[in-house]
Amino acid sequence: MAIGGANVRRVMTSDHVVGWAFASPAVLLIIVFGLIPIVWSALLSFQKTNLLSPPQWVGLANYRALPKDPYFSQSMVHSAIYTVLFVPLSVAGGLLTAIALNRPIRGIRVYRTAVFVPVVVSTIATVIIFLWVFDPNFGLANWLLGKVGLGPFAFFTSSNGALYSIVAMTVWGWIGFNVIVYLAALQGIPRELVEAAEIDGAGNWGIFRNVTVPLLGPVTLFLVVWSSINALQLFDEVYLATNGGPGTATYVPVFYLYKLAFQQGIAGYAAAIAYVLFAVILVLTVAQLLVGKRMVHYAP
Amino acid sequence: MSEIQTIELAARAAEEPTGQPTTGRFLFSSWHLVLIPIAVVMVIPLVWMLVTSLQTLDETRHYPPTIVPTSLEFRNYTDVLQQAPFARWFVNTLLVTIACVVGNLLFCSLAGYAFARIRFFGREVVFVLILATLMVPFQVIIIPTFLIVRTFHLIDTLGALILPNLAGAFGIFMLRQFFRTLPVELEEAARIDGASRLGVLFKIVLPLSGPALATLAVITFMWTWNDFLWPLITIYSPNNMTIQLGLATFQGAHQTNTNLLMAANVMSMIPVLLLFFFAQRYFIRGIATTGLKG
Amino acid sequence: MKRLWLVVPLALVVIASACSSSSSTATASGSVTGDVTLTMWMGYTPPPPVDQSQEYLSIQDMVTRFQAAHPNIHINFQYVNSDNALQKATVALQGGKQPDISYQYGTNMPQLATAPKIVDLTQRVQDPSFDWNDFFEGERAVATVDGRVLGIPALVDNLAIVYNKDLFAKAGVATPTPDWTWDDVRAAAKATTDPANKVFGLVFPADASETMVWQFEAMLWEAGGDILNADNTQAAFNSPAGVRAATMLQQMQQDGSLYLDFHPDSGQYTNLFNSGKIGMLITGPWDLSAFPNVNYGVQQMPSFDPGGSHITIAGPDNWVIFDNGPDRVEASWEFLQFMASPENVLKDSLATSHLPTRASVEQMPGFSALDTKYPGVGAFALNLANVTKARPQITHYPEVSSFLGLALVSILQGQASPQDALNQAADQANGALAIPT
Repeated sequence: MAIGGANVRRVMTSDHVVGWAFASPAVLLIIVFGLIPIVWSALLSFQKTNLLSPPQWVGLANYRALPKDPYFSQSMVHSAIYTVLFVPLSVAGGLLTAIALNRPIRGIRVYRTAVFVPVVVSTIATVIIFLWVFDPNFGLANWLLGKVGLGPFAFFTSSNGALYSIVAMTVWGWIGFNVIVYLAALQGIPRELVEAAEIDGAGNWGIFRNVTVPLLGPVTLFLVVWSSINALQLFDEVYLATNGGPGTATYVPVFYLYKLAFQQGIAGYAAAIAYVLFAVILVLTVAQLLVGKRMVHYAP
Repeated sequence: MSEIQTIELAARAAEEPTGQPTTGRFLFSSWHLVLIPIAVVMVIPLVWMLVTSLQTLDETRHYPPTIVPTSLEFRNYTDVLQQAPFARWFVNTLLVTIACVVGNLLFCSLAGYAFARIRFFGREVVFVLILATLMVPFQVIIIPTFLIVRTFHLIDTLGALILPNLAGAFGIFMLRQFFRTLPVELEEAARIDGASRLGVLFKIVLPLSGPALATLAVITFMWTWNDFLWPLITIYSPNNMTIQLGLATFQGAHQTNTNLLMAANVMSMIPVLLLFFFAQRYFIRGIATTGLKG
Repeated sequence: MKRLWLVVPLALVVIASACSSSSSTATASGSVTGDVTLTMWMGYTPPPPVDQSQEYLSIQDMVTRFQAAHPNIHINFQYVNSDNALQKATVALQGGKQPDISYQYGTNMPQLATAPKIVDLTQRVQDPSFDWNDFFEGERAVATVDGRVLGIPALVDNLAIVYNKDLFAKAGVATPTPDWTWDDVRAAAKATTDPANKVFGLVFPADASETMVWQFEAMLWEAGGDILNADNTQAAFNSPAGVRAATMLQQMQQDGSLYLDFHPDSGQYTNLFNSGKIGMLITGPWDLSAFPNVNYGVQQMPSFDPGGSHITIAGPDNWVIFDNGPDRVEASWEFLQFMASPENVLKDSLATSHLPTRASVEQMPGFSALDTKYPGVGAFALNLANVTKARPQITHYPEVSSFLGLALVSILQGQASPQDALNQAADQANGALAIPT
């Protein structure tokens, strides 16, 4: 029918227009500030530029220089150490804390708030606090540790200890995030399953091992992936607490590439490092998801 | 139960204790022995910061350190306000944050609705591209984004902080997912009654989307307020700095004036802490949503 | 009504951009009559009443005299700490708000060389009246990057050995002569070392910083070696000359004559020397005023072989010009010529104890007053003739330096042999040098 056909066509055309009209501001912003930079960055990695003068093509020279660059290998090693420590500590710690917070006892709200608050504190605020807490001479940490016979430690000023101090500081800052997610997931565990296990004679530990942990599988996988991605992108805390030091003891890839691009004017090489890091993150994420799929059982 | 309802329930439950009465149920549980140390570790650094912010410089150098406040030097706070343009930094950060929140709410709603409900040419491809940008870490794009912002002559202006963050892929994704869970019959009914797409969005859909919008607003607020690396790269005049960047420069200049530094730190945290306490459920909802759907 | 919603965020962006304050300081550009205002960053010291602001006052005097002679040129000079000058300049260049003249460390030149707005002075310095060759070779090398002259020398120093005459006399060591060798130094160090009284023959920095590395580099050059190869693509300090220089340090350490200073920036070594605990010290003219209690002498660096080179190392700094339009560039060049004229160089030296950057100044009648006013400075000024090489003016030099520094520390701590440590540092340096810049 001609009239119906025309109506349909008119509606469909106007849908295209309206759809694009609605979507275009956001899409335009993402194209300009998301997609174009992604492609441009890839191009930059094959160039050398100091961000002031026109770039020049250098082919694969940046990528070929990467394996021989001692600062890059140090950064990657530090990043690996940091990630291997940060992820299990914050995820497992988050789970255990969430279980403790999942109790119907008085004042539970206060405890929960106490655990959540560090998450909303900004990184610079956290660093300022911890530079003071970990102050080798006047800080609270050495005083408390001294009371149990440990220390004193140099924390951020020690080449051996600086990275671990950053681990401690960031676990404090981020564990609340994992706690929140785990708490929400714990609430989602059907009571029937827990009761069934109790009837079968399982104690608290048994319930934990056989009901809770497996059911939290998907969430744990998500948190591990999410924490790893964030760990590999560590920057703020390194820049603010140690500036990569002492010496190069806390160099991590994003910090190194920031220095290269914005302090030394070696931006093409920095872009190459950014892409290599991206590749590492991608590979790690895929690996974690694959392993996760085998190990994780999704709730029915 | 729809996806969104599950998350709602779970998130709400996370904010409240398990569905059993708490008053008088356990006067003392052994769990307190576990929870107290945890809470103390989390809170002590903040408390000590507060205490230090009220001390004199000599007192901060006192060893062993004191947790109990020994004096109430409120002038530390006024000193900080005199030594650095804190008020200016606060206003800058507020301006940028509100702009980004409003921008995200507006543009991501529009786009999210379009992706959710309107069939338009190229919709699927564009949506996948947008999702793809979520996978790429920030450090990959900082250099070109800096160059683009410089081309627009926005370096060292608040525009540099606002423009790239007016709409994010996360918001589009989240709202699109959310809109799809709403019953489409309501919207269809309104359209049959002659409402335009825009009218449907603003009069039907958005009013139903309160929680999701609030969550997006809170997440955007927190992320923008606490952002450091991007302002570090694009802003260098003290008067144009945000609180985080300004605080970092203040720290550089006042490393040994610990009492002033802590006072500055406390002041910088107040807005976000206030927001957190008043909008706690939306923070938690936002984080839970990310986690459970991730 | 709907449109209004879209306008709000955009309006915020516009308002925000307008609210951002501008930090430009230079006012009017060159007008038809040629009235020009220049912005100059200098980083010696803040204005009085800060301690030791002679440099500030000296510059202020030059600015005043110049402005009197050139009424249409006005100069705003600001204190910008030299440690931050590179960072501030880089940031200012990004935003198009660079100054006209800036004081910059010589080590900053490679990075500044890549800025399009830095003014190439190669042609200008060739003007015979400027007498570019009157500046010492090492200075000219530092001001030049890839064949382009990008600055004129603002300050120069060099390393020589300051020794405690009384400790030498007490140990029966002969007064050092200009043709002395490193073997002489080693013997003198050993003789003046007195473990019982905690007196050491020679203090040497041991913190792997550039302060340590550049002292070693002087020794490397004296042994006939080089830091990098001719086109700056490979390390050359692990040559036999480098091993010879490092071995000399190792031997003095094994003799027990070295005081290893792990915090050279703290100035602790000046206290030690001033208290008579140190026999010899490799340093520059800037330290002399810290030794009021010592009967000190200054001698040029020793050579390795008798009759060999007494080459030394210098750390010259430069004045650079940024392009803010032809009028301001011309005016800036006028002022720099004025500051760099032999008369003004001598005047500045006498006011500040700085070494004169020009060789001809040493022939001027007022020059002898320099050593009278600042004892020992004259010897350093004459030592400028030995400033014939410079460190490689490349972006990667700091990395090369840090690898070399770490190698030297491991040698001094007995953890590696000179050849092995230097080889490892050379590998690492080559890795850094491979990064395209």
